Amino acid sequence: MIRSMNEKFVQKKGFGTPLIKCLTKCKKGEKTKVIGVNAGFRAKKRLANLGIVPGTTIKKKTEAPFHGPLEIIVKGSTLAIGRGLASKIIVECSEICNF
Amino acid sequence: MNKKGKRKRKKRSKRMLPLERVYQKRHERKLRSKVSSEKRAIYEKEDAYKETINIALAGNPNVGKSVIFNQLTGLSQTIGNWPGKTVEKMEGYLNFLGYHFNIIDLPGIYSLSTYSLEEIVSREYIISEEVDIIINVIDATNLERNLFFTFQLLELEVPMILAINQMDILRKRKIDLDFKKLEKIFKLPVLPVVAVHGTGVHQLLEEAIELVIYHHPHSHYIEGGKNKHEHLSHDYHLREESKIKIAEERSTLKFFQFPDLSSVISYGKEVELRIKDLVKLIDEYRDYFSQFNYPSRFLAIKILENDEEIIKIFNFDDKSKHIIKIAEKYRKELEDLHGEDINTIISSEIYNNIHNIIEKTVLDYTPETIKETLAEKIDHITTHSIGGYVILGLVLVGIYTFTFIVGDFLGGLVEELFMNLTIPIYATYGEDNVWVKLLWDGAMGGFFGAIGGVLVYVIPFFLIIEILQDSGYLPRAAFLMDRVMHAIGVHGKTIIPMILGFGCNVPACAGCRIMETEREKKISIALTSLVPCAAVTTVVLGLVGRYLGLGWVLFLFIINFSVILFIGRILNKVMPGESTELIMEMHDYRLPNLNVITKQTYMRSKEFIFKALPIIIVLGIVLEIMLIFNLLEPINIVLSPVTVFWLGLPIVVGVFLIYGILRKELTLVLLAILATSMGLTILELMTPIQMIVFCLVTMLYIPCFATIIIIAKQTNWKYALQISLMEIAIALLIGGAIFWGYSFFINL
Ligand SMILES: Nc1nc2c(ncn2[C@@H]2O[C@H](COP(=O)(O)OP(=O)(O)OP(=O)(O)O)[C@@H](O)[C@H]2O)c(=O)[nH]1
Ligand SMILES: [Mg+2]
Repeated sequence: MIRSMNEKFVQKKGFGTPLIKCLTKCKKGEKTKVIGVNAGFRAKKRLANLGIVPGTTIKKKTEAPFHGPLEIIVKGSTLAIGRGLASKIIVECSEICNF
Repeated sequence: MNKKGKRKRKKRSKRMLPLERVYQKRHERKLRSKVSSEKRAIYEKEDAYKETINIALAGNPNVGKSVIFNQLTGLSQTIGNWPGKTVEKMEGYLNFLGYHFNIIDLPGIYSLSTYSLEEIVSREYIISEEVDIIINVIDATNLERNLFFTFQLLELEVPMILAINQMDILRKRKIDLDFKKLEKIFKLPVLPVVAVHGTGVHQLLEEAIELVIYHHPHSHYIEGGKNKHEHLSHDYHLREESKIKIAEERSTLKFFQFPDLSSVISYGKEVELRIKDLVKLIDEYRDYFSQFNYPSRFLAIKILENDEEIIKIFNFDDKSKHIIKIAEKYRKELEDLHGEDINTIISSEIYNNIHNIIEKTVLDYTPETIKETLAEKIDHITTHSIGGYVILGLVLVGIYTFTFIVGDFLGGLVEELFMNLTIPIYATYGEDNVWVKLLWDGAMGGFFGAIGGVLVYVIPFFLIIEILQDSGYLPRAAFLMDRVMHAIGVHGKTIIPMILGFGCNVPACAGCRIMETEREKKISIALTSLVPCAAVTTVVLGLVGRYLGLGWVLFLFIINFSVILFIGRILNKVMPGESTELIMEMHDYRLPNLNVITKQTYMRSKEFIFKALPIIIVLGIVLEIMLIFNLLEPINIVLSPVTVFWLGLPIVVGVFLIYGILRKELTLVLLAILATSMGLTILELMTPIQMIVFCLVTMLYIPCFATIIIIAKQTNWKYALQISLMEIAIALLIGGAIFWGYSFFINL
């Protein structure tokens, strides 16, 4: 499902190469940039208010086991964010990413 | 812009009207009567004493608003290192420099968009007529996120002071701020504060006087000098010779005009253009919109953002609905232009502006190589996939072990003392003396029972919970438990009120307001009300723990937590809707502040003493009277089908379980009193299996009276009743099952 959303996003944004992935796919400690948020109006607003907007640098600190939430650093503060929501945050894929 | 400014002025003047009019009239009268200038100064002073300034403390969660509030008012709002402690607005007063200050502590929020319950509380209050001035409390270590909210507040165009708090931490990191520049940028007072030490807190009030009474927002940082605050400018209203000057200034009555910040708060050309258009439309229909307290520009932005609450304002008649249409058109244009949703566009712009400000004003002296701090290391361990859970387990077990060890030791001492005192008293006055029974066995027995059986457990318990709260561990627990909590229909944050519920269910149930939706709040409340609180823990530790060992205590707690999980699953099924996702800030660990911890532990223990001790002493006497007149028996007989037949308990406990609804610890205390007055020990009164069943029933059978009331207040009476009935049923079911299972096993 994440993949299909991802593809839809690629088409919508007209990216040629799929150099994007969900935040959940990031490794621990990986630093990357937000490309977009693929969520509903309210969730998007909430995230935007917290600084999760395109272009923002975001660092995944760690994640809880068994598909638990993620701990991320954004705009200088640490946030815990549910996995469902995190999977809707699309980020840039750096070289190390093997998508 | 000009038009807007005027409208704004009008609004402010309307807000200030009664006060200002009084001024003007008095002033004119005094001028007419030609009193000497000296007398006039005295009059002015008297006037000043009558004024009230309403201050609202607003800002992100966990920035130190409540610390400032407590410093100013001397009250004791909950303080701790996790977001969402203050859930309802709280008022306090103080007199300072001859003015009466009315201070309001608000729940911390991230933006003025209405998303959660706290945000609605805060926003509604901030825009209400009552607020004269906002103190925007900002966490210096987290400027970027905090200034986002500041930008939103600025749009409300209410007089504002920026209090940059936690400067001690920032400076420890070898970072400083250029306050002079900040003040220049915002054209409003910007002050450094260290709330926990009380530094700069009262200066905020001086600034408020300046802004609200004298309408002088001017910079206080000496040009070219150090970043030092110029104090002299503030106390001129105290110096007699300057009174006249002030009086003269007043005769020209300046109204506070919110500074023009259009160069700071700008959302980019395309957005600004459309906002300007919308402002024009709104201004044209001022007859209608002026009844709301919002500036036109704020309305324009929010209608452009499609804010649910603001749209309600516009859904009035054709003319206002027309504006919605236009806003929709503009929104679409902008979204097409940027390829982003409108909130994202505006938020990005704000964060861009903030970034520019930070570049200019943050003076970073940190060396290039930054070592991982101890706080980060602890964070790493406590959120670790395996280590984190081990620590969580240890913390929970640790809470109880600590409480038990300290409580048991002190309890033993108190009991010994009571025994030693009893012997000479019995010897002098006789054991069967009615007064000895009433006053010593009843009243003093209750007193010592409460101290030795309850208080000695309660104090270490509160202490350790305060340490947990102020260290910043709670959000980590929420992070780790999020996955589990989703299985029972809520997200990780619920674990926070639940852990606090170990202390007392009453504030914990109120704290469930941190949950974002009504459904989650309701489930959280139900679960929290089942958490064994300090009083219940006392009963369990003092009875089962003391006589049967900690293993059985663990057994009882496992049953209790299984019940919580079970109920959660059921509520999740029964209640319509789905659980929302966790979003929560995790603040850095902090060495708990000794002052804060001791004060809060003291406050909570004191409350316990003042509320519980009188009840216990009175009930101790009542119990003795009932024993003398044999009144317990009828009640106990009525209850015996449940207590004796179904649960297998001694008949005497029936009435205690009823008292237990009032306060749970009463079940044990009264039992102890009864045992003393019958000349027995508890071991002779109850068999081990009876102790286990008795404790289990006490743990589960009903939330205490105060909790039921708070549940009703947070939700409704029907829900409070439902929870109570459900818990009674569960307690009887499990208690009965254990007793009958045991009997069956024995008879085999
Ligand atoms: N070192 C330091 N710590 C501070 C300072 N001010 C507040 N704190 C700590 O910051 C934490 C949060 O303070 P609170 O006053 O409870 O925060 P709040 O803004 O009321 O938070 P909410 O009610 O949750 O919105 C507490 O642990 C305080 O001890 C400060 O100036 N320096
Ligand atoms: Mg608070």
